[in-house]
Amino acid sequence: MAIRIGAIMIVNAELFVNDLPGQLIGSIEPISMVEGNILGIVHNRDKIIDHRICVNVTFEVDDKQLDRLKDLWKAKDIIISSLGSVHETFTMHYILIGDVNAQYIEGLLKMVNEATTLDEVNVSYSSKSIRTASHTSLITVKARYEDNLDKIDAILRRECKNANVTYVRGV
Amino acid sequence: MKAFICGFGTIGQSVARVIKEKQDFFKKRYNESLTLVGALDSRSYIIDPNGLDADTIIKAKKETGKVGNTEYKSIKDALGSVDFDILIEVTSTDIKTGGVGLDNIRYALQNGKDVVTANKGPLALHYKELTDLADKNDRYLLFEGTVGGAMPIINLNKYDLAGQKIKSIRGIFNGTCNYILTKMDSGQPFEQALKEAQQQGYAETDPTNDVEGYDSACKVVILANSIFGRNATFNDVEITGITSINSDAVVLAQNNGMVIRLIGEVSATKLEVAPRLIPRGHPLSLPGTLNTAEIITEYAGPITVSGVGAGGPETASAILSDIIDIMDERIGD
Repeated sequence: MAIRIGAIMIVNAELFVNDLPGQLIGSIEPISMVEGNILGIVHNRDKIIDHRICVNVTFEVDDKQLDRLKDLWKAKDIIISSLGSVHETFTMHYILIGDVNAQYIEGLLKMVNEATTLDEVNVSYSSKSIRTASHTSLITVKARYEDNLDKIDAILRRECKNANVTYVRGV
Repeated sequence: MKAFICGFGTIGQSVARVIKEKQDFFKKRYNESLTLVGALDSRSYIIDPNGLDADTIIKAKKETGKVGNTEYKSIKDALGSVDFDILIEVTSTDIKTGGVGLDNIRYALQNGKDVVTANKGPLALHYKELTDLADKNDRYLLFEGTVGGAMPIINLNKYDLAGQKIKSIRGIFNGTCNYILTKMDSGQPFEQALKEAQQQGYAETDPTNDVEGYDSACKVVILANSIFGRNATFNDVEITGITSINSDAVVLAQNNGMVIRLIGEVSATKLEVAPRLIPRGHPLSLPGTLNTAEIITEYAGPITVSGVGAGGPETASAILSDIIDIMDERIGD
C-alpha cells in the first residue's frame, strides 16, 4: 500500500545483502541518505540465496529520490529483488434507490470520472428489482485520496436529488 | 423547592413518581424537599401549595382522563395560581409551531421560573430566543431529556467533556426508525415493520415525524445549538427519512457486511439526518429501539454512549438529572 502525501510515497523493498557484519546497517543507510523515513524492517535470516540474506524494508521517500536510492544500493553491492510502491485506498459504498437502471448508473459514473480519479468501481444491482420500475443498486468506489470521496459524494448527492433518487452513503 | 409539571402523559406521570420516590435523596442532599405543587394536562390542572401526592393524581388521571378538576383557558390561569420554582415542561412535541410547550416555557422564564423540559419542539424552533430569555431573566433552561431519552449526551458534553472541542456527533436518535430498520434486517418489508412498531407502541398512529426523520432532525438541531454553539433551526437540517428504504437495499447492504440505519450527524458545518450504510459491528449498527451517539472529541477520541431513547421512566431519569443540576445551583449540594 502506498500513501501519497505530496511527492512522498511509501515504498516496500526486498533486498539481498551479503551475510557479513554491518551489511544490515549498510542496506538501510542509503534510505537515510535520501532523507527517507523507515517505517519497518525485517531481517529475514531464513531466506538466504547465494550467501545473501533477505532484508525487507518499508519506508517513506520523496519519489524523485528513488533512482538515487537504487544507485546507492547498487554501489553497495546490494541486490534489489523487488521494489514497489504501495498505496492506501479509501472505500465508500452508496446504495441508490429509484429509477436507477444501468444506463443511469453509467452516466453517473462517467460524471464522477470526469471530476476525479477512481481506483476501482464496482456496481451491483438487486436481482429482484430489475423487473420493477424502481431499481436498487450498490456502488462501491475506491479512491486514492480521501478528498476524492468528498467530490464523488457531492456529485452523487446533487444528481440523486435532481433525479429524485434516494441515496444512502456509508460512514 | 417547588415544582410544577406541565403535561401529564406518560412522561409527566413518571416525573411525578420519581419526585415522590426521591424525597429522601433531596432531603439528604439539600436538607429540603422538592414539592410538587401543580400538575397540568391539556384540559385541566390541579394545585396544592402544600404538595400533591403523585399516586393520587396519577390515579385520577387514569380514572377520569383529567389530572384535576379545574379547567383553564389560559396558561397564565394555571401557572399563575400557585408559587413554584421549577417548571417541568413535558407536553407533547409540536415541531411545526412549538405548540403549548413554547408558550409554557416562555411564560415560566419571563416569570422567574427555572425550566426543565423534554419537549423538543420549542428548542428545535426557538432555541436562541429561549436561551436568551433564560439568560435575560437569570433562569436555567435545561433539556437533557430532549435528545436520546435516558442516554446522557448534552450534560456529558457540557460537564465531562468541558473544554474540549467536539468535532462531530453522529448517532441513532430515533428508536422507532431503528426498530423498523432492524426488523427489515430480518426480512420484513417496511410497511409490515412499521405496523409492528405501531402495535408494540414504538410508533405513533401517524408515524410521519419518526419515519420522515423530523424527530431526529429536532435532536440534531438541539445538539448543534447546545454543543456546537450554532444558531440553527429545524429548517436548516438536510433531512432524508427511511420511507424509501426497501428490502432490496437492506439485502444489498447485508450482502456487503452492512446495515442501514437512520443517522443524525452534526458538526460545526454539517446538519443532516439520512439513512446511512453502517458496517456490522460498528457502534452505530446497534439494533432495536436503543439510541446511540458517537462523539468525536479533541483529546479523548471517539466516545460512544447509548441508552433507551424514549419512555416515561427513562426520560424522567434525564429530567431528574436536570432538576438536581438546578437544585445544586440554587441551594448548593
